Parts: sequence; structure tokens; C-alpha cells
Amino acid sequence: MANLKEIRNRITSVKNTRKITSAMSRIAAARLVKAQQAAMGARPYGERLDQVVGSLVASLGSGEGEGEAGEADAAHPLLLKRSGNGRVVIVHITADRGLAGGFNANLNRAVGNFIRKEREAGNDVVLLTVGKKGRSFFQHSGQRTVRHHDAPTLGDLVVKAKMVAAEVMAMFTGGKEGGDTELPQVDRVYFAYNYFKNVLTQQPKIEVLLPFESREVVNDERVLPVLEPGRDALLGHLLPIAVESRLQQAFFNSIAGEIAARRTAMDAASDNATQLIRELTLFYNRERQAAITKELMEIIGGAEALKG
Amino acid sequence: MAETTIQLDILTPLGPKRHGVVVPGVEVPGLLGELGVLPEHVPFITPVVPGVVRFRDGGESVRIAVGAGFLEVTRDNRVVILVERALEVSEIDANKAREDLKRVQAELSHDLGSIDAAEHRKLVTEQGWLEAQIRATQP
Repeated sequence: MANLKEIRNRITSVKNTRKITSAMSRIAAARLVKAQQAAMGARPYGERLDQVVGSLVASLGSGEGEGEAGEADAAHPLLLKRSGNGRVVIVHITADRGLAGGFNANLNRAVGNFIRKEREAGNDVVLLTVGKKGRSFFQHSGQRTVRHHDAPTLGDLVVKAKMVAAEVMAMFTGGKEGGDTELPQVDRVYFAYNYFKNVLTQQPKIEVLLPFESREVVNDERVLPVLEPGRDALLGHLLPIAVESRLQQAFFNSIAGEIAARRTAMDAASDNATQLIRELTLFYNRERQAAITKELMEIIGGAEALKG
Repeated sequence: MAETTIQLDILTPLGPKRHGVVVPGVEVPGLLGELGVLPEHVPFITPVVPGVVRFRDGGESVRIAVGAGFLEVTRDNRVVILVERALEVSEIDANKAREDLKRVQAELSHDLGSIDAAEHRKLVTEQGWLEAQIRATQP
């Protein structure tokens, strides 16, 4: 019975797939705790830093007419808003590996739409990819990618955030066109990543990195504390750190998000495999019974024929 | 009512190193030089450069190597040190740090011309961080 054998093979193969998916899900579950703790542990630092730098930046703007495009002398080069069209760079943070549900695909799509919009607005877009999945998605679309890094791990995250931050700050300030032609001058820097909301939800986010903007207007009435040295020198010291910190936070979110997404996806895949096996087994048994019945009928039929 | 202690938080991107420890005072490597913070300090923000943070926790004196960041003294007698990285003395591998430092210094000394500014800045930061680690292990 060729058909029966086929079904049996199919069941074996689905069972093997389920072994893989449930192993991946369990590995992800084990790594998730660590990644999640790391992401959560990093948040107080990032939020506090953002608040302090944000209130410093906000206190700058309150002096004269806020947000006048191309303010002649911004307090710091990283705050300089350039008006008109120009070139933007997107730091596109994905994972190195797939099999994580819509984790990479969602962000790739979001960034693709974003690029199209920027293009329509007349801006030139270049990418700086972190994570292989983002790079391979845009590789064949003719999109220019200026630098690539592999996805960060919990171990090398701090160093990698520093590296990327140094690159985008160099691109933004545009100070070295001659030396390093690989990094073109840009007028705005965005970063795109999956925000780790909880284990089940990861949100693709695209935010402005440079020129630096305070996230929420923390309009706390308390007077600014004593600053030492002056505000501008302090900003000079803190802004690069704040930029790094935002990238770090994005990396943390991305790592935890990837693992959580993989866990959820592989859990669902295992459930689906179980369901499929159940259906196939049922079908197999029914077919087997049908075959037996058919054989019996034939034997009885043959016996009847002999009798007659 | 004079306070005699302050609450100290040391936060890093890899999670808090210390949270709410009660200390009589803390010494921090500031941008303008080493500074000590005692109870009832005026609210204050200043950058922290790579170096060693020192304080007494109960009976023992604690040394923690820190990277760049900043220090914030809040109105309610709290000190928050936010730094990009921090290591306790027990976590530092002094020999490895020395070796790495030699390597970084060598790189910095011979091809200062060919490496670009971003690379140079990275090496200098690394150098400061390694020196901080080594200093933390030497009492």
C-alpha cells in the first residue's frame, strides 16, 4: 500500500520537524530570561540619562524661538538642525538569523516604507545595517548600504554601540570627507529597531537619533541643578554618551525581542506540528482500516464465488 | 536636620551595580578632577571620566572602576552615578587589562596618522578604561 507508506513517512518527517522547533523554543526560553533581565536592567540607566540630557537640551531651546530651522549656532554640533533636503542614514537593527516569526520581516517592511517616503520627500537615503537579515533584505533592491555590522550579542553590545555611535556621529558632523569616503556626510540619522514591549509583542520603531531631540518634554518645574562645568561643556560630554545609550537600548530591545519572537514562533510551530500529526495519524488509521476492510471483502467475495 | 549619610546608586547599561547603598560619602573621578561628595551636597550634575569610584559600605572600603558617564546629586540626598560600564575589583582581570593596555598604547603610538579620528577616539577611550581598571586593583 503505497499510500499508507507515504502517510507514515509524512508523520515521521513532521515529528522530526517538531523536535527541532520545540528544541529551538526551549533554547529561546532559556536565553529569554537572561536577555529580558538585561533589557530591563538597562532601562533605568537609559531613561535617567535621557531625562537629564533631555532637560538640558530643553533648557537650551527655551531661551530663544525654539526650533527655528538651521539655528545658526547650536550649542553643540550634534544638536544642529539642518533645513531642506539632504541625505539621511538609517541604522537598521535586525537579527542575524531568521525563524523568529515576523521579527525581521516587520522591521524590514517598516524601513522599506520609510525609505520610500523619504525618497518621495526628496531625500537621499543610505543604510547602516546591524544584523544580517536587514542587509540581505535590502541587498538586491539597489539600496546603498554604507556599513554593516553583525547583530550584537549581550557580550559585545556595549562595544558595538560605541562603534556604531562613533560612525553615525562622524557622518552627521561630516568632518572627514577626505579620509574616509565610505562614510558620507548626512543631515539626519534615524535608527530602526524592534521595541521589546513584552514577550508577545515587539514593535517596529523608527526614531530620530541625530540631531538629538529630547524624547518627552520633561517640563519639571524644579530649577536646574548646579552644573559643573558649564552647560555647553556638559552637553559636549553627555551628548555622545546619550547617543550611545540610545543605540545600546535599541540593541538590548532587539536582542530580547528576537529571542522572544523566536520563542513565540517556535511554540506556535510545535503546536501546529502536533495538530498535523494528530490529523495525519487519524487519516492513517482510517486508511489502514479501509484497506483491511477492502481485503476482507475481496476474500469473502472470492470465497462466495468459489462456493457458487 | 543634618543628614549624615547619602544614598548611592551606580547604574550601568548592564544593570545597576549598586542600588540604594547608604554611605557616609563617595569619591568620584570628575571631569575637572577627583571630587568627593558628602551629605547635604547642593543638587549638582557633573561628568565622570574613566577612573575609580571609592566609598565605604559598612566596614569595608569599596573600589569600583567606572567608564565615562555623569554624576547627579539630587535634592533628596541621593547620588546617582550613571556610567557606561563599571567593574568591581573582584571582577577585574588585572593581568589581562595590563596586556590590553600595552596593545592599545602600541597602536596609538605608531599609526596615529593613518587611523581616522573615530578610530583614534575609540582607542583613547579604551586606554582610559583599562587604566581605570588597573588603578582600581592597586590600593
